[in-house]
Amino acid sequence: MGESVSTSEKRKILSRQTKRNLVAYSFIAPNFIGFCVFTLIPMAFAFALGFMKWDGSNPVQFEGLGNFTRIFQDTFFKAALRNTIIYCLGTVPLTMIASLALAILLNQKIIGRGIFRTLAFFPYIASLVAITSVWKMLFHPTKGPINNILFNVFGVEQKNLPQWFSGGLVLLSMILFSVWKYMGYYMVIYLAGLQGISAELYEAAALDGADAWGKFRYVTWPQLRATTFFVVVMLTINCFKIYDVAVMLAGGGSGELTPSSTVLVYYIYQKAFVDWDLGYSSAVSMVLFVLVLIVTVVQFTIEAKQDR
Amino acid sequence: MKKKILSLLLVATMAVTALAGCGNTSEPTNSSASNGGGAEPITLKWAIWDESTTQYWGDIKAAYEASHQNVKIEMVDLGSTDYMTVLATELSGTGSDFDVVTVKDVPGYATLVQKNSILPLNDYISKDGVDLSQYAGATDQVTVDGKLYELPFRNDFWVVFYNKDVFDAAGVAYPTNDMTWSQYDALARKLTNTTFGEQVYGCHYHTWRSTVQLCSVLDGKHTILDGNYDFMKSTYEMVLNQERDGVCRSYSDLKTEGLHYSAAFSAGDTAMLNMGSWFIATLISNIKSGEYDASLCGNWGIVKYPHADGVEPGSTLGTITGLAVTAASDTPDASWDFVKWVSGPEGAKVMASSGNFPAIMTAEVKNTIASMDGFPKDANSKEALNVSNLYLEVPYGKNVSEINSILDTYHGAIMSGEMSIDDGIKAINSEVGKLVK
Repeated sequence: MGESVSTSEKRKILSRQTKRNLVAYSFIAPNFIGFCVFTLIPMAFAFALGFMKWDGSNPVQFEGLGNFTRIFQDTFFKAALRNTIIYCLGTVPLTMIASLALAILLNQKIIGRGIFRTLAFFPYIASLVAITSVWKMLFHPTKGPINNILFNVFGVEQKNLPQWFSGGLVLLSMILFSVWKYMGYYMVIYLAGLQGISAELYEAAALDGADAWGKFRYVTWPQLRATTFFVVVMLTINCFKIYDVAVMLAGGGSGELTPSSTVLVYYIYQKAFVDWDLGYSSAVSMVLFVLVLIVTVVQFTIEAKQDR
Repeated sequence: MKKKILSLLLVATMAVTALAGCGNTSEPTNSSASNGGGAEPITLKWAIWDESTTQYWGDIKAAYEASHQNVKIEMVDLGSTDYMTVLATELSGTGSDFDVVTVKDVPGYATLVQKNSILPLNDYISKDGVDLSQYAGATDQVTVDGKLYELPFRNDFWVVFYNKDVFDAAGVAYPTNDMTWSQYDALARKLTNTTFGEQVYGCHYHTWRSTVQLCSVLDGKHTILDGNYDFMKSTYEMVLNQERDGVCRSYSDLKTEGLHYSAAFSAGDTAMLNMGSWFIATLISNIKSGEYDASLCGNWGIVKYPHADGVEPGSTLGTITGLAVTAASDTPDASWDFVKWVSGPEGAKVMASSGNFPAIMTAEVKNTIASMDGFPKDANSKEALNVSNLYLEVPYGKNVSEINSILDTYHGAIMSGEMSIDDGIKAINSEVGKLVK
């Protein structure tokens, strides 16, 4: 008798647990289903497509490793990879430094702090299309004020005036542009981090005779490590995904990029939707995926080591 | 408990709707093989671009609907900038409900053919006895393995537009219909004024590769599918030298500004512009509507494209715009009837009435256009409408879409000075070589 009671109780407890789980799942479900349908399944599909040949209409053909061997003989892929890496190497440290410096400055109690914070954040929320137009006017090779100043004030000869949107300088323009546009966003993250640092630590440092640099070196920087880690990881991932800035700044009216400005995501788009080589373009996105994965894993490992 | 049921229901609904999105939603439509006389109403969905700025789409729709009471044409505007890319995406998979699509260029046509998104029309053509010779050979250049997938309804060719006021101001005689490339170059230089504030550009090249590269294929010996592009060197040299000397606007500037050729010509400081005949209708209607300042560009004319030494004048580039029936169409017969009508003599009349060049070019069509109000009155402009040799900008060929991308890419690299002419051409040769191999 006693036994049967306990089993029925057990069953009841189990089913209650199951019900609880179901409720929990139902809360996760909306997000998870969306993630599955729009991200996970397409990703798995793209991974499989990397080994196929498909144009979106005709039957899929198995290609094996053919797409991947093609990648490494592809001039345009190499150009895109090189440009993306240069862009990341330039943008990540510069944005980090600029946003940290801004955050420290705007963390001081100065008059109009709110206004300056808003101004620094403004490029981030402004429309990319609108501000790239403004940049193109400012840096216009013959009519832009920047080149005008170089010509009139610094006496640069007309034929030596820089072409900001082609050749070797286009990547620099892209880097400068994204540092300026995105530093406001990372500044806000840093500001939050700075406000989390206890004032007592600064007092203690002051008692120990630390000057401003010392305070930064021994209090601010170590305390911000978690924030910095987050900022660097996000920045790196976002940098590898660059597309819009390149197309808007260097693409001109037709949005076509030359070998000096092409980037991986643009190349993936072009292969997939202009040349309709979906297998090959999936293979390129796999390379991008692995690249980002490696960089992120390395960053996590370094962070874990420092944590110890 | 109620809450739990509710949330479970919610999840179930979401899952079902998500799955439903993947299903084939195209509803079966009554297909009817009517040729206009049938009573069953049919709606044909037609892909076009720039409806608001291009008059003839609406004209064609109105004229066709008037003579085919049971057919309704539904136009879908996909925009002109990346029309063929958007169209190919729309026609991918099985969910498309387009019946008729406009084919803007040959690389895009090749893509649609390879994707089996459009139907071969040979059976229809032989059944209805459509005479392909009326297209003067244009259809031969887009025939794929003996099959034709589009019928052209528009056939444009390149001419030189010039601003007579600029010539008058400089005291230079107007260009003629038998210019060679070197005469054209000399003329452009004569008209150029580089004085700051009074700049006049002798000529203008839009950022398309066709404005430069294709001047080289007019000798009739080369095409852009050749695999070796050394023959383009002389044209690149001419254009880059002109750019260096301020004879034309610089490519980098144009690319940065996104300046449209119509804006360059209508500003009144451009003497000559090489452009397709589609610009005639635009010029006429925009000068009439006041969008372009008639005091700046109202006094214009056209002459034949310059020609290479030893080649007959009147050789020029052409580009055809065609109509195709989609493989997904539920009403292919009715769609074909529309395609046949628009690319036939009736459609040609509608096209010519608004100053556009139909694919069927007859003396009557030329007269209609030349006698339009707003068309230049001089004899040379009318004579410029006569073409002796028409080379398609891009004829159909294997890998044409990829070759086109490569040519576009390196055109940008050469023109912006990223690569020297020799390096650029060498790169094109080697990249195209990889494909042709």
